[in-house]
Amino acid sequence: MAAIESFATTLQQYSNAIQTVSDPDELRNYAVDGLLPRLAVIPETVQQVSQAVALANHLGFTLFTRGGGSRLNLGGIPDRFDILLETTKLTRLLEHEAPDLTCHVEAGITLAELQAKLATKGQWLALDPPDAQQATVGGILASNASGPKRLRYGTARDMVIGLRVVQASGEVARSGGNVVKNVAGYDLNKLYIGSLGTLGIIVEANFKLQPFPVNERTLLLTFSNAEDAMHTVTALLGSPLTPSAIEMIDSRAASDMTDFFGLTLPTNGYTLAVNFEGSTTSIDRQVNETLLLARKNDALLGDDLVGEAQDQFWNIVREHTRGTVTCKAVVLVSQIANYLKTIEQVCQNHELEAAVVAHAGNGIVYIELRPGDATHRLVEAIKELRLYAQVARGSMVVERCPSDLKRRISVWGEPDQNFYLMQRIKQQFDSKGTFVQGRFVGGL
Amino acid sequence: MSIAELPSTPVTPPLFERISAAKKVEMVRELSALLGARYVLHTPYDLMLYEYDASIDRSTPDIVVLPASTEEVAAIVKIASRHNVPVVPRGAGTGLSGGAIPIYGGIMIVFARMNRILEIDYPNLRAVVQPGLVNLHLSNALNPQGFYYVPDPSSQRSCTIGGNVGENAGGPHTLIYGVTTNHVLGVEIVTPEGDIVQVGGWTCDTPGYDLTGLLIGSEGTLCIVTKIIVRIVHVSEAVKTMVAVFDTMDDASNTVSEIIATGVIPAAIEMMDQMILQAVEADTHAGYPMDAAAVLLMETEGLREGVAEQTDKIVNICNKHQARAVRIAANETERQLFWAGRKNAFGAVGRISPEFYVQDGVVPRTRLPYVLRRVAEICESYGLRVGNVFHAGDGNLHPLILFDSQIPGEVERVRKAGHEILAVCAEVGGTITGEHGVGIEKQEEMALIFSEVDLRVMQQVREAWNPHQLFNPGKLFPMPGRCADMKQL
Repeated sequence: MAAIESFATTLQQYSNAIQTVSDPDELRNYAVDGLLPRLAVIPETVQQVSQAVALANHLGFTLFTRGGGSRLNLGGIPDRFDILLETTKLTRLLEHEAPDLTCHVEAGITLAELQAKLATKGQWLALDPPDAQQATVGGILASNASGPKRLRYGTARDMVIGLRVVQASGEVARSGGNVVKNVAGYDLNKLYIGSLGTLGIIVEANFKLQPFPVNERTLLLTFSNAEDAMHTVTALLGSPLTPSAIEMIDSRAASDMTDFFGLTLPTNGYTLAVNFEGSTTSIDRQVNETLLLARKNDALLGDDLVGEAQDQFWNIVREHTRGTVTCKAVVLVSQIANYLKTIEQVCQNHELEAAVVAHAGNGIVYIELRPGDATHRLVEAIKELRLYAQVARGSMVVERCPSDLKRRISVWGEPDQNFYLMQRIKQQFDSKGTFVQGRFVGGL
Repeated sequence: MSIAELPSTPVTPPLFERISAAKKVEMVRELSALLGARYVLHTPYDLMLYEYDASIDRSTPDIVVLPASTEEVAAIVKIASRHNVPVVPRGAGTGLSGGAIPIYGGIMIVFARMNRILEIDYPNLRAVVQPGLVNLHLSNALNPQGFYYVPDPSSQRSCTIGGNVGENAGGPHTLIYGVTTNHVLGVEIVTPEGDIVQVGGWTCDTPGYDLTGLLIGSEGTLCIVTKIIVRIVHVSEAVKTMVAVFDTMDDASNTVSEIIATGVIPAAIEMMDQMILQAVEADTHAGYPMDAAAVLLMETEGLREGVAEQTDKIVNICNKHQARAVRIAANETERQLFWAGRKNAFGAVGRISPEFYVQDGVVPRTRLPYVLRRVAEICESYGLRVGNVFHAGDGNLHPLILFDSQIPGEVERVRKAGHEILAVCAEVGGTITGEHGVGIEKQEEMALIFSEVDLRVMQQVREAWNPHQLFNPGKLFPMPGRCADMKQL
């Protein structure tokens, strides 16, 4: 294998403006699970990304791609890698075709910056994952990050209409296009979304956009038990009402939010936050009908949030999915109440504590387990929680945890029977292993 | 006569030879032992029913099989694989791009017997169905409980959900709710090796690659789908359907652009031009004006309050763009009549022309006025009549070019006009197919929107799973040796 210095020199020859970091002290900023790259590259253009990847592929170096680093912790411990490629300088909004409700953007722009630009024309990309200030569009797509409003708007797969992706060879390939409906060829957009950089580097994306809602309001309801709360949720989902988000917050999560963020949430029982968007008249009616449903299920009625208080509330709720040890379990909506009991039981058995926030309408339960350093107990609890999620026709991914714990568990769970089909794709797309392995499902 | 086959003088040898009579006898015996002789069709008379779909291509399979279970599908695939005979799945044969045409013959799997709803779970908003289930039958089953399945291709009374998954089918109401891929969570598949594999599932965000998303719309070239887990949704509380009448196409398309631009996104915006209106009226008597240049059929649905507000906004926009009249359906009967006109449009055109050829390009919605003008110019330059009936809200055009293959040279002119229309779509940043698929029909046009690298990367997926093209061979990608013909145009 060639020396890393020759990689850096050759890359500079292609483009002397390209920023690289080779100083060992500075490289510490680019550590992943304690592993350091030998070189960091921060390209400013798609062409520079393409050149860097082609060169790495040619010289046999392994690349690790990152955006803003907000989800760097996701995934198993990577195999050794040589070069870290950071996309945060690819920040151009290439086109915002507002009348067509579409945009074309470079992948290194942060979500917050993109939203600010789209907002000038009254539109937004309907994705609300945590940490929009730091998270880049590319990172959000590669890790398939989402937030509470996925209940109404769906996830990245529902709004990406085109991607440009640097392949392991360094070639740039387009998939999809910039129109809202397109079935020409395989839908590779779906394949790249959530593939955590194992198949290519997303450098540009085309999105379908949404107009800002005319109005928005969040209703807080508190229940003494999870069953009542979930009865309300299923009744809402089975009604013609159209909530944009339904978040369930358990007492520990509520008290965290109260302690650290000054929110005043009831710290016993379960709080449901139900968000409605639309015109004032339709929101009013939906709020009234939701209150009726909630009363039938013995809810205590809480605040009604609008404006800044509402924005702040949702920001805090989103951030609560980012504890030291946070698991994302997905189960059937009808199983959530049961699953919450299971979590209580499992934690009790292993002398752990759980704080739970759930996208209750989607069956997604974020479980923060504490203390985060009780490695042995956590290992057992994670195994059990995963098993129960699977019984409820779902899955569980440990989205955040210390490297030490990662070595003792499977972050994604054991691969399914269909894993060999995924391996064959990885083999076709990256036969030389240019994109770092070890992080994704089954070590892909 | 086939439009797509006209210029095709393949330089490369065919992917598969037709099977010999002796081999056919042997395979029929094996398949009959597996399925029972009733469910293995092999006489020319029986096979003729399966040589077509709703595109203009024809090719007869050598054997048609009607399995009743996933296990039988897997066993059929293993037999086919052992004999190296291609396999083509077929739903109802309503596809418009030749996806179900067995170019090289071989075995056709027909899902008529795998047409059941296996499970409906209302609290979790899921249904599990077999691929042969007719699209509308699912919604019919769900309706009494107040639920339905969203994707509604115009052929929904006959097309199957398996076929919808193969083509990633759309429909008028996909404007806000999305197409098939947005409503399917998991599938059971049979691979070219004959393995039965579960992909995706009942819940969202399954760890690993989104294979479900990749497989939907793969046109039968990667796997055969044997079970489908779909999302179901609650029927809207209120719906308002309206028809706006315009004296110029430009006014109609500008109305569409403005509706989208103001962020009012109705459930459907369909456009029909004069030629289509005349055909539809003669056929359905839906009450469309026959002298108008274009009509927009629009629907808003949701909560009563929201629907009322949206309707007002839409009517205002229509008036601003010189709509001659805006009529709101007074009741469900009238609403159904409006829609019957739209959904029967293709059939109605059959009354005024012996044959027609439908295209499926998509353009940015802001470019509709320009592209519609170009479509008219192109057809005029070839001396062809064209009608437009399409999903205007998505920018998804369906120009119907009328022709008569008995007239010498006409088919060739149609083919060229179709290609030029797609070239215009590509030129304004659009695509060559929004919901009908590439199939055989648009293989060459893939090169209008994708580079060689793009196409090679896509083919890596087929290489990974279906490397010998046992499943639906010779589709979706430009065929080597054929491109030259098209590029001269």
